[in-house]
Amino acid sequence: MLDYISGVITFSLIYVIATVGLAIFTGFTGLFSLGHAAFFAIGAYTAAILTYFYDVNFWLALAAGGAMSGLVGFIIGYPTLKAKLRSDYFAIATLGFGEAIRVLLENLDITQGARGLPGIAAETTLPVTLAVAVLTIWVARNFVSSRQGRAAIAVREDFVAAEMMGIDLFAVRLRSLIFSAVCGGVAGGLFAHYVAFIQPSMFTAYLSTQLTAGVVAGGMGSITGPVLAAVIFVALPEMLRVANIWRLVAYGLLLVGIMIFRPQGLFGYQEITWRSCRNFWKRLTGSRAEPAKGGQG
Amino acid sequence: MNLLELNGVTKRFGGITACKEISFGIAPGQIMGLIGPNGAGKTTAFNLITGVYDLTGGTILLEGKPIQGARPDEIVQWGVARTFQNIRLFRNLSVLDNVCIAADLHETYSLSAALLRLPQVSRRERAIREQAMEYLAAVGLEERAALRADSLPYGLQRKLEIARALALKPRLLLLDEPAAGMNPEESLDLARLIRRIHEEYQLTTLLIEHHMDVVMALCEKIFVMNFGVRLAEGTAEEIQTNPDVLKAYLGEGYKRAGN
Amino acid sequence: MFLQTLLTGVAIGGIYALMAVGYSLVFSILNFSNFAYGSIIMLGAYVGYYSMVQAGLPVILAIAFSIVGAAVLCYINERLAYSPLRKRKASSLYFMISAMGTSIFLENLVYATIGARFYSFPEVLTQQNLEFMGTSIGVLDVFAIVFSAVAIYALHFFLQNSKTGIAIRAASYDMEVCALNGVNITVLIGWVFILAGALAGISGMFLGMKYMVYPTMGWITNKAYIAAVIGGLGSLPGAVVGGLILGVLETFVSAYVSSVVRDVFSFSLLVVLLMVMPTGLFGKYLEEKV
Repeated sequence: MLDYISGVITFSLIYVIATVGLAIFTGFTGLFSLGHAAFFAIGAYTAAILTYFYDVNFWLALAAGGAMSGLVGFIIGYPTLKAKLRSDYFAIATLGFGEAIRVLLENLDITQGARGLPGIAAETTLPVTLAVAVLTIWVARNFVSSRQGRAAIAVREDFVAAEMMGIDLFAVRLRSLIFSAVCGGVAGGLFAHYVAFIQPSMFTAYLSTQLTAGVVAGGMGSITGPVLAAVIFVALPEMLRVANIWRLVAYGLLLVGIMIFRPQGLFGYQEITWRSCRNFWKRLTGSRAEPAKGGQG
Repeated sequence: MNLLELNGVTKRFGGITACKEISFGIAPGQIMGLIGPNGAGKTTAFNLITGVYDLTGGTILLEGKPIQGARPDEIVQWGVARTFQNIRLFRNLSVLDNVCIAADLHETYSLSAALLRLPQVSRRERAIREQAMEYLAAVGLEERAALRADSLPYGLQRKLEIARALALKPRLLLLDEPAAGMNPEESLDLARLIRRIHEEYQLTTLLIEHHMDVVMALCEKIFVMNFGVRLAEGTAEEIQTNPDVLKAYLGEGYKRAGN
Repeated sequence: MFLQTLLTGVAIGGIYALMAVGYSLVFSILNFSNFAYGSIIMLGAYVGYYSMVQAGLPVILAIAFSIVGAAVLCYINERLAYSPLRKRKASSLYFMISAMGTSIFLENLVYATIGARFYSFPEVLTQQNLEFMGTSIGVLDVFAIVFSAVAIYALHFFLQNSKTGIAIRAASYDMEVCALNGVNITVLIGWVFILAGALAGISGMFLGMKYMVYPTMGWITNKAYIAAVIGGLGSLPGAVVGGLILGVLETFVSAYVSSVVRDVFSFSLLVVLLMVMPTGLFGKYLEEKV
């Protein structure tokens, strides 16, 4: 039983890492991506290939997975962001990118195509994932409360005004993309060494959807919100034994529902801090509190 | 040398020429007014100066350096700040955050320092906040620092925009109809504010405005546009008595200064 | 071989053109990519399939039902998922998330209820071929091309000559001014989605008949986005031309290079075009509303 719970938590934390990355990209910089599963896949395959075929140390392989994803993020991001594509076409371009990665993974020799890579070392344990997750969240929070984080928020809020503040739109967006790619890659590497067998069909739009749903539900403009949402999205269906398909139906409905009824997500633009919990309680019990959003106070 | 110089600036949008051969210069420390009927091309001129639009022809020089074709954020870094005709505040963010984003321009620390939260970051962050509060105080908004920007009344939102522009520490300030939507009392209050910050920060200012009392009170020099071309140029006195300007824009019954 | 590939390309291009027109219709009015359009196409196919196979209706009626069904669903989609956002003047990010959510919801609802099975239409028109200059083309393809052409022409006629159609064209230039001139924008947008849905229904039926009916068949709409860019965003004739060009190009790539890279080719074409020639052939590259 303890093993089972530990497994669920480990699995959730893997998703947390990827979701935090996407939160910086979509939640804080305002860019929509339909292909983030690709970064997860790149990280998973890079790390797995390194440990399986070349006996590389696990941590190095993990870092390499993240780095590879980051590099690909740069390669994809540079032309598409430089061209200042309107956001829906940027999203479509990311879709194409995801497709290209899938084709690549299914056709390269080293990835063993659609058969997948079995027998990967099961190096991902709860302490490992916890450490990486905490590190990721810490770095993300530092980013958000810094001038670079403010710049990203400004770009999301009104990119025309942001440019007038001396903010280089391209650099901000590319940076967020690379960060989210690295997070996705690291999470992918952890994933590969947890499930011990990967194949291209595991990295589909289903994954991208789950991550996006986590960010939207958690609140665009919050880090802790998506963290909590990511955990819930893994743990809850697990406990309720919900089949994958119905999960997706729920995610779809959730995305639309949140957009219509509560666009700020479950946790709004606030981080979950003691102060915000107190504020929430105060508001619930009728006293006044109307803090501004932004995650910085 | 003029701080800002436009030479033969022309902008065409397909078949429409929004600006044609516009040339003028602003000396350092001057306040200049850009007036004319709606659609005359004034905001287009601003958009050309700030790099939002590309020029079809001509040059724009900032202290002798050509800035046409540069990115808007580069031009801001070189010392040009603007406010918008229809306010573009970061509505969902706090008043303070709006100014902090501007103040970020000059208080720099690297990305790696930010990600690792090195000690210098906390120090700089405090400095940014203090700076931002100073600018808020300069426009009288320090009490409302924590409020949402869009919760401010209209007149105060305009002041916040100005505070934000100031925080960019510009050499040249472009104000696009700062008094729009204000009653005469508020406009004069705004004029006083602009005069005060002009003196305090030694800011060269280019002002688009339709409130003539604000323009005539503040501007040493005025450039009049109509249908994208220069109509007249001169001091407030000269403009108010220029028959072309009266006919096209001010109206023949316009009350001249001193009457 | 060349002529055969060309004809096959034109056949699939016709369906792309149909989807691209439906997509462009919404895009040109609302400056918004309806990511849920694919799932409407898919539902149209299912409606048609059930009409024909379960209810035993003749092809023509099945097509009619799929048109009506898809039109209704497209309209409901707009009312529920997009209208509230438009009233709030939400940014495009919210629209995209809502559209994506709708698409995922519908696809997986079908997966979960009807199942993942691939259905194929009975061999009404599918198996017959016409011989033409040494090549053969399926009767179904011919029928699809003709039907698409008729549908697009009917739409064109509607847009040129009916009151609603003219209002739609006016709105694509400037919605506010249109509203100021007394057009009920809500009703107008409703009409736009109904028309787009009707086109989706036809596309779905022909896609289903030519290939198969399955929950994720809507992903082919990505081709519609690409076709719209080739022809020029915001231009309906451009969408038609773009669809045909894309169909032909893709088929050639598939035949002469490799079918695996076909989709990668199309997406790469998209990215390159957007960087180099975003207005496409006939269009105006609409700036995003901020």
